[in-house]
Amino acid sequence: MEISLAPETIAYLGSFPITNTFFITIIISLLIIITSFLLQRKINLIPKGFQNILEWILENLLELIDGVTKNREQTRKFFPVVATIFIFVILSNWIEIVPGLGTIGLKHFQEGKEGIIPFIRSNSADLNMTLALSLVVVILVQFIGITALGVKKYTGKFLVSPLKKPYFVGTFVGALEIISEFAKIISFSFRLFGNIFAGEVLLTVALTLVPYFLPLPFLLLEIFVGFIQALVFAMLALVFMKIATEHH
Amino acid sequence: MELLGNLGINGKLLLAQIINFLILLWVLKKFVYTPLLNVLEQRQTKIKKGLQDAEEAEKKLEVIKKEEKRVLKKARQEAQKIIEKAEKQAQKNSDEILKDAQKKAETIMQSAQKEIVKEKKKILQEAKSEIANLVFLATEKVVNEKMKAKTDKNLIEKIIKEK
Repeated sequence: MEISLAPETIAYLGSFPITNTFFITIIISLLIIITSFLLQRKINLIPKGFQNILEWILENLLELIDGVTKNREQTRKFFPVVATIFIFVILSNWIEIVPGLGTIGLKHFQEGKEGIIPFIRSNSADLNMTLALSLVVVILVQFIGITALGVKKYTGKFLVSPLKKPYFVGTFVGALEIISEFAKIISFSFRLFGNIFAGEVLLTVALTLVPYFLPLPFLLLEIFVGFIQALVFAMLALVFMKIATEHH
Repeated sequence: MELLGNLGINGKLLLAQIINFLILLWVLKKFVYTPLLNVLEQRQTKIKKGLQDAEEAEKKLEVIKKEEKRVLKKARQEAQKIIEKAEKQAQKNSDEILKDAQKKAETIMQSAQKEIVKEKKKILQEAKSEIANLVFLATEKVVNEKMKAKTDKNLIEKIIKEK
């Protein structure tokens, strides 16, 4: 058993390292894209089968977003980002439930010991993916804030002149705001990464210690954690977007 | 930078993940969210309209039912009126016919009576002359003696008339 924070590289495409997590990312993305294409042709006023399930999920999400924004127009604006984060993250998280996690892979030798480079590793357990998502969200939040409030008002949140009331306090708070924007990136990416990585380690350990029955409750727990983390990521993104559109 | 490397963060992979997410966002928005949300909205408006229509139809039905009752009532009243009128008319007609018939019968009766009286007179006259003849013949036989015909006859007729 071998646990590595960084995803393992399984092949190189030129100088581009294809890690097991990137491989899974591509598979999930293809799955989503193909499903979208198939679904798009079948979307009907009278829902059927898969459209029903998706409508149910999206409608609940829509209501949730409505509850935060209290504004239908804003909901329609934020909805694509929030929904995409939710769908992508929950699928990524649930990959760790797939049998073969950490056990099927390439044999390799390191420092004289035999090990395995697994093919399947949840891409949420890869900081590249979580960091990518948080960067997208935080940058998007800045854009939304600027379009909603205008450049002057939005930057006024962060850069406060020390000559105005309440003088240096305002400036200090502005500086804290800037730091908090960066903290968002870190908290976003490490929260998801930490939860899912820990889940993977837990499952691998449980599987190694007692291969039968014992992993079962942990699998159920990981399904729950995967759902919660996806929801948390999407909701936090939503809340940050909403806050960016409001004055102080 | 070494810390980032230890955590497995790699610039190329990071960029690839960002691009991947943006592609996903675009695809889902174009092929799933927009059409699906449109469909949801369409359905909502359709259902709302359907419910409204149903309510309206119910209201209309009630109005029509009331109208129906009213019309039926009116029709019944009119029919009653017509029947009454017809009855009256029939009564009048029958009265007239009866009166007419009575009148006719009376006239017929009167003319018949007149005729009868006339006939009676005529018959009586004829009978008188016949009787006069018979009496004359009988008298002639009895007397057995022929008088002058004219005076005899006149005599007998006088006697009958005097009687």
